[in-house]
Formats: sequence, C-alpha cells, structure tokens
Amino acid sequence: MSKGLKVFFMILLAFSLIMTGCSDSSTSGDANEGSEDSGDVSIAENGDPLGKYDPVIEATFVRSVDETLKLLEGETVKDNVWLDYYRDELGINVKYEWIAPVGDQFDQKMNVTLASGDIPEFINVTPTQLKQLVDADMVMDLSKIYEGYAAPLTKEVLTADGTGPFDAATIDGKLFGLPNIDSSIDRAHFIWVRTDWLEKLGLPEPKTMDDVLKISEAFAKQDPDSNGKNDTTGLAVTKDLWDGYAGLTGFFNGYHAYPNIWIKDDGGKLVYGSIQPEMKKALKALQDMFKDGQIDKEFGVKPGGKVAEDPASGKNGLHFGQQWTSLWPLQSNRDQDSSAQWKAFPLVSVDNQPARPQITLGTTSWWAVKKGVKHPEAIVKMFNGFVEKNWGETAEFDKYYLPEGAEGTWKMSPPTPSPPMKNLEAFLSIREAVDNGTTDQLTGEAKVVYDRVKSHEDGDQTMWGWERIYGADGVFGIMKEYKDKDLFMRNEFNGAPTATMTQKQATLEQLQNEVFTKIILGSADISTFDKFVKDWKALGGEQITKEVNGWYKSIK
Amino acid sequence: MKVSQGPLYLMVLPGVILVLIFSYGPMVGILMAFQQFIPAKGLFGDQTWVGLDNFRYVLELPNTMRVLWNTLYIATLKIIFGLIVPIIVAILINEVRHMTLKKSIQTTIYLPHFLSWVVLGGILIDILSPSQGIINMILGLVGIEPIFFLGSNTWFPVTLVGSEIWKEFGFGTIIYLAAITGINPELYEAAKMDGANRFKQTLHVTLPGLRMTIVLLGVLSLGNILNAGFDQVFNLYSTQVYESGDIIDTFVYRIGLLEAQYGVATAVGLFKSVVSCILVTVSYYLAYRFANYRIF
Amino acid sequence: METKGYKYFTWFNYIFLILLSLLCIFPLVHVLALSFSSSSAASAGLVKLWPVEFTLSSYQYVAAKAEFWQSMFVSFQRVILGGLINFLLTVLLAYPLSRETKQFKPRTFLAWFLFMTMIFHGGLIPWYIVIKELQLLDTIWALVLPNAVPVFNVILLINFFRQLPKEMDEAAHVDGAGHWTILWKIYIPLSLPVLATITLFSLVMHWNSWFDGLILMNSPENYPLQSFLQTVVIQRDLSMIGSSDLESLSEISDRTLKSAQIFLGCLPILIVYPFLQKYFVKGIVIGGVKG
Repeated sequence: MSKGLKVFFMILLAFSLIMTGCSDSSTSGDANEGSEDSGDVSIAENGDPLGKYDPVIEATFVRSVDETLKLLEGETVKDNVWLDYYRDELGINVKYEWIAPVGDQFDQKMNVTLASGDIPEFINVTPTQLKQLVDADMVMDLSKIYEGYAAPLTKEVLTADGTGPFDAATIDGKLFGLPNIDSSIDRAHFIWVRTDWLEKLGLPEPKTMDDVLKISEAFAKQDPDSNGKNDTTGLAVTKDLWDGYAGLTGFFNGYHAYPNIWIKDDGGKLVYGSIQPEMKKALKALQDMFKDGQIDKEFGVKPGGKVAEDPASGKNGLHFGQQWTSLWPLQSNRDQDSSAQWKAFPLVSVDNQPARPQITLGTTSWWAVKKGVKHPEAIVKMFNGFVEKNWGETAEFDKYYLPEGAEGTWKMSPPTPSPPMKNLEAFLSIREAVDNGTTDQLTGEAKVVYDRVKSHEDGDQTMWGWERIYGADGVFGIMKEYKDKDLFMRNEFNGAPTATMTQKQATLEQLQNEVFTKIILGSADISTFDKFVKDWKALGGEQITKEVNGWYKSIK
Repeated sequence: MKVSQGPLYLMVLPGVILVLIFSYGPMVGILMAFQQFIPAKGLFGDQTWVGLDNFRYVLELPNTMRVLWNTLYIATLKIIFGLIVPIIVAILINEVRHMTLKKSIQTTIYLPHFLSWVVLGGILIDILSPSQGIINMILGLVGIEPIFFLGSNTWFPVTLVGSEIWKEFGFGTIIYLAAITGINPELYEAAKMDGANRFKQTLHVTLPGLRMTIVLLGVLSLGNILNAGFDQVFNLYSTQVYESGDIIDTFVYRIGLLEAQYGVATAVGLFKSVVSCILVTVSYYLAYRFANYRIF
Repeated sequence: METKGYKYFTWFNYIFLILLSLLCIFPLVHVLALSFSSSSAASAGLVKLWPVEFTLSSYQYVAAKAEFWQSMFVSFQRVILGGLINFLLTVLLAYPLSRETKQFKPRTFLAWFLFMTMIFHGGLIPWYIVIKELQLLDTIWALVLPNAVPVFNVILLINFFRQLPKEMDEAAHVDGAGHWTILWKIYIPLSLPVLATITLFSLVMHWNSWFDGLILMNSPENYPLQSFLQTVVIQRDLSMIGSSDLESLSEISDRTLKSAQIFLGCLPILIVYPFLQKYFVKGIVIGGVKG
C-alpha cells in the first residue's frame, strides 16, 4: 500500500503541475492585456450618450434567466427586441458567454467563472463580488465614464433613491459599479386585511396596533368563514419570519422596532435594529398571540408557499406584506371565492407616534467593467438606452417593456435600471387621469396598468389583484402617504459586508432567528431576549457595529 | 496455467485515465482548505495561505459541536436502517409468486427516488401535519396524541430517517434482488430435501447468499457517516428544529451564503472525507481479517 | 406442499407489500393530480389525490414549450451515450479487478485508487476548470466523460464477478481462450441480473443529474431535462421580489405547470424500467455449474 500511495501522490503532483501550467499561462495573458489597454481609454472621444458605434462593436455579458419569462413568438434570450435595439441603434452587439438560471446556480456559475479568470467584459455583480474583483484588480474605475456619458435622464433615475446605491459600489473613493437601480420604497410593508370578514364580524378598520391584535383574535376565534369549524388563523406568519408575504417586519415596525437593519441612534451612530429594546415588546405580543392560538401552531415549519394556501383557501384574513401580495397569493383566494375582498392599510403603531415602515436598498446588483475593455462606456450607453426607451421622450413602453402577450420583455436588456418611484408615479398618473377624465391620454406603464384596472372594473376577476394595487383605494395610495410624510426608515448601512460580517453574520442571524422563533413559540421565555442581546454583542456583533460605523464615517 | 496479463492492463486503461483526469485532477482543489480562497483571484492566483485557520474557524463557531453530533446521529440511523430495510423488503418480494404483482411492487417502490426533495418537502408538510395530516389521523385512531414530526426536536431526526428510507429503499432492494437471483437454485433444492420450510430456507440459504452483498454495502455506506443528506434537510428543516436537525452541510451552506467561503467549505469537506476514509479503511481490513473477504 | 403457516404469511406479505407500494406511489399520484387541476385550486392546497377543477391546460402549455422537448432530447442523448460508456467502462474495469492479485498485480492498488474518488473530491471550482481547459464546456461530453466511471457500480460488479465459479475460467484457459473471450463469452452472459441493475443505476444517474448541466452548459438550449426542470421548480426567495417583477408573480403560483413537467420528467424511466426488469425479476439459472 505504501508503494501504491507514493505512486498515487506522484501522479497527483504531476497532474497538478500540468494544470498549473495551463491556467497560469491563460491568466497571465489576461493580465497583460489588461494593463496595456487600460491606458488607451479616452473619455472625451465620444460624449454622445446615445451615439452609435460605427462599425458595430462586440460586448460580452453573462446573464440569468428565470422561469417566469414569457417572450413573444420568435423571440429568444439571444435574439429579441432589446438586443436588436442595442445593435441597430447603438452599434453594440451583445454576446452572452453563458446563461444560467437565477439564484444559487447563477451565483455558483459566477464564482467558477471568476475563479477561472475568464470574466465577460461587462458583469453584473453583488457588493461582495465587486469587492473581490476590485481586490483582484480586475475591474476599472467608472467615475469619469459615468460622468461623461450618462444622459441627464439616466442620472436622474440613478440618483432618485438617495446616495445608497452609489455608496455601495464606491471603494476608496472610486466608483467601481453602476447601480442596476431598483425601487427601495416598494419593499415597505402594509397590513393586508380581508375586509368582507371585518364587516361580517363588525370590526373597525385597523387604526392602532390594538385594533390589529383584536382583528387577529376575532379572525381566529369568531369563525369568520361561518363554517362552524375552528379552522381559521389570526395572523399569517412564515417560518422565515422576514418574507415579503406574511413576514413580521411590518408588525415589528408597529412597535418602532426595526429588525435586520442598521439605524441611527440619538447620538448619530449606527446601531443594529434587532437588538433594540423595542423588539422585546413586539416579541412578547407575538408570543401571546401564539399562545392564544391566533398564529398557526405549525407556522415554524411552513415556508411562504405553504402558508399562502391558508388565505387562498379562505382560512386566513390578515398578514403583513409588501405591495404585491394581492397578485399572489390573494388573487387565488379571489379566484376561489368571488366574495372575498382584501384591502391594504398603512402600518399602525402602539402609541401616538406614526409607525415607520423600514426599507432596505432595493438595488441588489451593480455593473462592473473588466479592465482593458476598449469601450467601457458602452455600458453607460446601454443604461441610457434602456431608460430612454422605457421612460424617456422617445419611449415605446409597449414595445420594449410590456408588449401585449409577453411577460418580462424588459428583462431581455442586460442592464435594467428602473426609476425607483416608477410604480408610485404610474399610480399617481392613473389617479389623476381618472379624476380628470383623461384616461385616454395615459401612456407607457400607466396605460398598461390602467387597462388592467379598467378590465377588473368591467368585470374581469382575474385582474382583481391589479385593482387592489392601482385602484382608487389601492395600496399605492398608502405608499404616497408614506412618502409624503417621509415615514420610511432606511437601512443606513449599504456597503459590502465588513470583514467580521463575512465571518460571523450567518451565525448571528441564525442565533437571532432561533431565539425569536423560540420566543414566539413560547418554548423560550421573553427574558431570553436580553440574553440574546448580550450573546449577539459577544459573538461578533460588537465588532461588526464598530466596522459599520467606520464605514459610515468613510462615506460622510 | 500462465495467461498473459496484457489484456487486463489494456482493459483498465481507459477507465483509469478518465478517473485520473476528472477525479484526481480536480483534487488539487483540496489545497483551498488551507487558503482564504477568493474566486476572483483564480485557482492558482495570489491566494492567502492561512494554515489551519479555516478548521479553527469552524471549530470555534458556537454551534459546531451540536451540528457534528446531529450529523453523526442522523447519518448513523440512516446507515443502519438503510441497510436493514432493503434486505427485508427484498426477501419479502422474493416470496411473491405472482409475477405481475411482483413487477409492479418493484416498480412502485423505486418511484419516490425520482422526486426531488423540493417536491417531497411540500407533500411531507401536508401528510405529517399534526392537525390535518393523514399520518397523525391514523395514529389518532389507535389513540396516539398528534406528533409534530417536522417541528419537534425529538421527532425531527426520526422523520428525516424515515422519509429518507422511504425515498431510497427501492434502490437498495434492487441490488439485493439481483443478488438473490445469483444464489444457486441447487442450494434451495438441497435444503428442501433436508425438510427445510420456506422460512428456514430464507434463514439458511438466502441470507448467507446475501452475506457478501450486505458486508459490501455496509462498509461502503460507512463512507456516508458524515453525510446526513443536504437536500433533504435543507428542504425540511426550520429554525425551530436547528437544535436537532442542523447538519454539517446545511451549516456550511449558511456560513457560505454571505460570501463564497470556499476555503471553509473545502476544509469541512476535507475533514469529512478523512473521517469516512478512516472508517471505511478500518472496516475494510476488519472484513478482510475476520470474514476473509476483500470487499473490493 | 405449502404449510398453512406459509399461506398466512403469503397473505400477510401481499397485503404488506401492496400497502408499501401505495405509500411509494402516493407522491407521484399527488403530482399527477396537481398537474390536472386548476391553478387556483392548487395554490389553495385543495388538491390531494384527485384533480380539482380538471383541466389539460398545463399539458397544453408544456406541449407547446420548445425548451422542454429540446432538453428532453438532450437528456436522451446523455442517457444513451452516458449509459453506453458507463457500461463499457464498468465491465472493463470490473473484470480485471475481480482477478486475484497473482493474476493481476495492481488490482488492489487500482481498487483503492477508484474507491478514493468516492470519498475525496476537489470541489466545484477545480472540477469546472479541468473541464473548461479540456474545451468540453457546452458539449454533451462534459456531461458524459466526467461521470464515465461509476465507481459504486464497478465495485458492485467486481463482487458479483468474483462469485462466479473459478473452474470456468480455468477450463476456458485450458481451451485456449484469452481474457477478452472469457469476459465476453462467460462473464457477461452469466451476470445479466447484476448488469441490468447497474445499467438501471447508471441510466437513472444520468437521467436525474441536474447540477452539472447547469454549471457546465453555457446556454439553456443544451440543458438536459432535469437541469431545465430545476429552473422551473426552485422556489423563489419571497423576500427578494423586485418591484419590476409584478407581472411574474402570477406565475409563481403555477404549481400545476411545475407538476406536469415533473411528471413528464419521470415518465421515460417508468417506461424503460419494465424492460430492464425482466432480467432481474426472474433470475438467470446458472446451468450446470457448482456454486
């Protein structure tokens, strides 16, 4: 055996040497290429935001796809209206090096691509990946390119969500990634209530947290579905606690508690929301509700898709969630029972201070450019094109964003920066047009959405979910209120994960969710919360707080 | 009689080359266990060497011991029942004389193997529910209080083992059935002559006939002593049962979520491999020593 | 000449095995029922073992979905090519390794050499890089060659080969037959049950694998069926739904569509299985040889 082992290791060694040879040559080749070319980039050469390259240049990308895409007949991910536009109008021929499904597999594919040193010219990354790319000196500073090429409208869109999206991609004062901007405010939570049940049981609409607790109790105990069986739940909750449907974020906000985000304390320093004393009261309330049988005894093992069966089958009428829950899962409830009616209400609070909905950065990915690329500004031009064709003067929304009979056509563009307030604005223009009787003058997204609302009013029940969002008492009316009163509680930390976060965050999150779940289930006493705060600090939270504040100072 | 060994070398050559390239080639990656590996820097790039830091890091995490224990507990139960159940079922199926029935049973027991845990997870939440699940209804008929299979720390590991066996026993059963067909029919004839009934024939002919297969599969399954089944646990567990159901693989997955911690993941993988390697090697030699049988 | 006790046992046995089969067939029936139900009934959790609000729309949708059939085709390619290579290499490795050390010197070393690959792995990144450097990405070979040697099957076959009586080899050698002849004329015909078993395993392995397809194929056209299904079945992270994604929400609930595709994905194996079965249900009588 010992002789066998020796042979084995010899072979292994030989093999690894061969391997080293191969990839060494390829990576060093890339590096050279990079350092030679990066000097050549001259920004002033062409400042036209939508100027066409002649001859057409080739640009390489990678992309993700998801299962919900429904393209028009004849279109594919590699051949569609967006890629045609970029090639014909901007002179940029988009080529995908690979395509992978969104989620874990995409991340893994991205990591093997990074490791093999063969990244595409333009790459859409997370803050963590961006930081790694910067550390490995593989991507370039985009500050000047952005300033020189971004159209006014693009700049307006990209800066409409505050400085957060740029802070996250700024390392040592240089901008390494353009935010693929998406809405933050759309992540705010609301209270969704089945109003036909409210009427049936003679309950008032929720104005305070107390009302919410009463509704929950009544929905659980007073047989709102009148089937004589005790089979309804009060408040719907998923096992993951923080989902956009049936999460608890909005509930905590009602107690002025802000789990999972970094907030400013009175002294102007950042502190972690999950460990503040306000959390304790909210947890106690949840514990009592669970003990009282208002929360599904089995919620602790049910993912969102499973919990969603309850409202859909008429067994639940109250949850906290984002603006879209009427499309899913509530639409299923309406399909099954046309008398079911739901309405969103603003978050309410336990005292006379208004509840402030917390939001995190909606932008989750940034565009970086590989060092040595000849035309790095091409990505900025594509940003310009995307924004212009959807929301600009020459917009053709029903061609490029939501053509009749297709879903997700806009996703066919590699960069997809969307105005952070676009949904709210669509709502406002629809309401205005309805009030003025000028609905026939609506254009773009507002028109498409209005048609759906209208068709519900004309009797199409399958469009009910849209009416709940954009209709007269739709959820965006509350969103406007949130915004006008400036109620949003933003996550103040938008940087890449700090060193200690990388090491400890997962453990701390697990600790947090485990303790919270146990408290709600009643298997841990509420005093466990104090121990959790101590543990959280000791297990790295203290250090993370320091690092987060260090980052905060660095961007000020 | 001396026969040339030449053809034998020729036979193994293609397989050996492919294994060398596709299995041993990538093993250089084991070095990542000793690095703070950052994908963007490349496999042979300028990675930071950290010695045993990755191992230390994992060991010092607050829940490592709990996770290790859960893994061992769940995996051991899976190995034991995963070995026994298919033997019993194979013997029972072998007693079925009705050919169509025999074939149908064989086909159906292999079916759960084709459904992924994502799909089965949703189904299990339903049938195991303490309030509406069919299993608890049946238990209720015999006067047993409802059991929260997926939410109780006592029952969760049992549920994992049970559902894993349910999904995979068809696989093992096929191997044993194939082995039973290899038993010389004359042995049964001889046993009948001696007046043995079916039960005795099973005991004295079938089981000894399966001995080698049992030893083989038993030893090989020891290689899984630290594999408690990522996909299954990941789809069934929840914070509520971390205490009893969190295993090494899910634990590492969560650590790695925030940042691709390949170094740590590789270190844990290496640890698992070394432990399995030791166990299998020891049992290999034990089998050789006491049963005089080399399993491979 | 069966005793009364055996008769009772037989009845008990039949009932037990039938119940066991029902337990195993139940999830697939549920999937099938879902696939024929209306989408809203499915998302309300009303479907158990029988379709609710029966509809064929899922199947109509899948039937028109080119990607589905394309990936089915890739899967067939993979299974046939991969199964063939697996079979050849398994037999070619198992035969020499089932010899005694004095007949084939490196057998023990080689057995361990193969076995170690079941335990030690280099991890995703180097594995990917090896396949990339060999220019196999995005080709069918990337799915077939790295899995060319199913070690578990080889070990299984070694053990079965070793149980075959040694006298036959010697007799054949005396008749002047070489190793190739012995393997082909004696070992293979005598091992049909186990060969059917390992063939089934390798077909199923190739059919069920999805991860390698996702990582090694650069374009979705080249995904095998299970990789494609993975993109359909995975659950969306509900905390991460973007504001621009509203239109896609209705699709999330489409469990019926997923079920139809899952069921169609199992179908080919259900069809192939009985063909292989005839080799190991009955058993092959090893004629005229002592055990």
